[in-house]
Amino acid sequence: MNNTNSTVTQIIETCERLYNDLDFSYVKNWKQTHAGKAVGFMPIYVPREIVHAAGMLPVGLMGAGDLLEIIKGDAYFQSYICQIPRSTIEMAISNRLDCFDGMLFPAICDVIRNLSGMWKLMFPEKYARYMDFPQNFRPEVGGEYYHQELIILLKDMATLSGAKVTQDQLRQSVRLYNENRAVIRELYDLRSADPHLVPTYELYLIMRASNILEVSEHTAMVRDYLGAVRSEKRPERDNIRVVLSGVFCEQPPLALIRALENSGCFIVEDDWVLGARYLLKAVATEGDPLENLAAAYLKDTVKTASRYEEDGAKGSYLIDLVEKTRAEGVIFAAPSFCDPALLERPMQQEALKRADIPYTSFKYSESSGQFQVIKEQTGTFADSIKLWGSV
Amino acid sequence: MWLDNLFTVGIDVGSNSIKSVAMEFDTNGKTPKLLATDLNKIRKRDAKQVIRQSFELVLRQAKLSEGDIAYIASTGEGDMVDFRRGHFYSMTAHSRGALFLNPDARAVLDVGALHAKAFTVDERSKVLGYRMTSQCASGSGQFLENISRYLGIPLEDVGNLSLQATTPEMVSGICAVLAETDVINMVSRGISAADILKGIHLSMGRRLINLLRALNAEGQVILTGGLAANNGFVAALQELADQEKMEIRFCIHELSAYAGAVGAAIWGAFRHVKLRDQVA
Repeated sequence: MNNTNSTVTQIIETCERLYNDLDFSYVKNWKQTHAGKAVGFMPIYVPREIVHAAGMLPVGLMGAGDLLEIIKGDAYFQSYICQIPRSTIEMAISNRLDCFDGMLFPAICDVIRNLSGMWKLMFPEKYARYMDFPQNFRPEVGGEYYHQELIILLKDMATLSGAKVTQDQLRQSVRLYNENRAVIRELYDLRSADPHLVPTYELYLIMRASNILEVSEHTAMVRDYLGAVRSEKRPERDNIRVVLSGVFCEQPPLALIRALENSGCFIVEDDWVLGARYLLKAVATEGDPLENLAAAYLKDTVKTASRYEEDGAKGSYLIDLVEKTRAEGVIFAAPSFCDPALLERPMQQEALKRADIPYTSFKYSESSGQFQVIKEQTGTFADSIKLWGSV
Repeated sequence: MWLDNLFTVGIDVGSNSIKSVAMEFDTNGKTPKLLATDLNKIRKRDAKQVIRQSFELVLRQAKLSEGDIAYIASTGEGDMVDFRRGHFYSMTAHSRGALFLNPDARAVLDVGALHAKAFTVDERSKVLGYRMTSQCASGSGQFLENISRYLGIPLEDVGNLSLQATTPEMVSGICAVLAETDVINMVSRGISAADILKGIHLSMGRRLINLLRALNAEGQVILTGGLAANNGFVAALQELADQEKMEIRFCIHELSAYAGAVGAAIWGAFRHVKLRDQVA
């Protein structure tokens, strides 16, 4: 895939193809071309650098969206829970995930923990690992624990790939992911500065491509997009600026993203596809790379519902985002039955109330098809801020 | 027309028709004045082309060019208006337009081709509460248009004809399919068109009266949307409200169909001034 000098339309079409391809043709081609293996991972905090350093392709999996009817997958989970584990199982038992040689299930909620257990039972021949993360952020406690976890993961990845992984290879992978995170930050900064220039629909698809593409290829794609979109002439809109919160695991359907934009909102910050940007600063490339990755996780990581924060601190990260992006309000969107997002929401809302920041809230599922009510809700929210300055 | 004055266009994209208005304001976005209106039925044409035609028509009527327009505001299915500056949700736009047409109204009943909404407003046109019909089409103008076609009666004659009814026959107020079956049965039983139409107006009206009752609406209720032009429907609403001893008075305006577009244009001027002053 060569994106050099591509137009915005071409880049977005490429992203749409990747997004719509539930057979993971790119992954299969990559494996063939590189005679390598691919490792799938679920959201959020997966150290992709380690998979990459072992010569394998890390691939972010975020369910099947509204592209696949869940039939068999419903037999494995309660019907009332979120969609992402059921569509992931559906993809697996319909052989769409056969191209993955291993799977990583980071701790995010009980449902994903159960999914990892099922995986081990259903696909015993495949590597599967449930990854726990420290909730104590003192270097000598949580840092040491996470460092040990990364050592185990590195050994596992080396065994799976059949290659020895040197520290230099790890450092090189960290460098490549640092570059990727830097261009993604540039993309987010551009959207925040000129939201009419970078529609969220496009930004989202580019972020989803980060799940699939080899990291250097994705970095080149983002650079191409930044170059191309800056010369686009796009109409300015009188929309309100909002932060979208709660979409860190099961993803909203594309039509919902479009509906939010069309209801008069510029999304200037969000928490989707965090796998590619959960580290807020460049990871150090001198010294022990695993220690550096562990230290970065402790210090410079986006806050989500899956990460412990001391009493009273919930919401302050969100308020910082609102201030940094000059947002006028927050839209809480959470998948139905997303325990982490929905349990965190009241604490965040309280913090927003104290800070006098308006918000509105709704739930969705990845297979939702009707958004009229949500559009009316967010449209009214946007109008209230534009015309009355509050809700 | 003062050179310092500012001009806006409001475009209301409905499922059946496009309504556009051009308006003039003083430099502070006050003293709104309606310059031109256009109502263009979509009739299976490309909606975006119809929108453009309607926009250009009101510009010509108002003797303005696109460059003179400070703010192009959409409402309804506004994402169809590629060249808009801003979009206002339909209740926000209809409430402002309704109060422009009748400043004394404190509730609005917007009945369009597919949906109906009732909302109460304050003197600034801020929406205080709202109720909507569910998705069933029997509460909408499209249903009435279908029935008039089945009966072979021009839509514009439906209102006057229904006023001649003596013994109206009620139809299903819940389901358009059942209601259409009711109408077929009535035709085969020889019920007059006037009685059928009055019965339909009453059945539709009952659902809408329930919306207004849930809002505790009082005083003047202005009708907006396409159904406001149907005097038989308005009379049926008033009859139902009187039966229920509700303290409301339905009123219409010759420009009721343009309320959404007018409201969008007025809010557009408000936003233009606000954004201009922020920059200054």
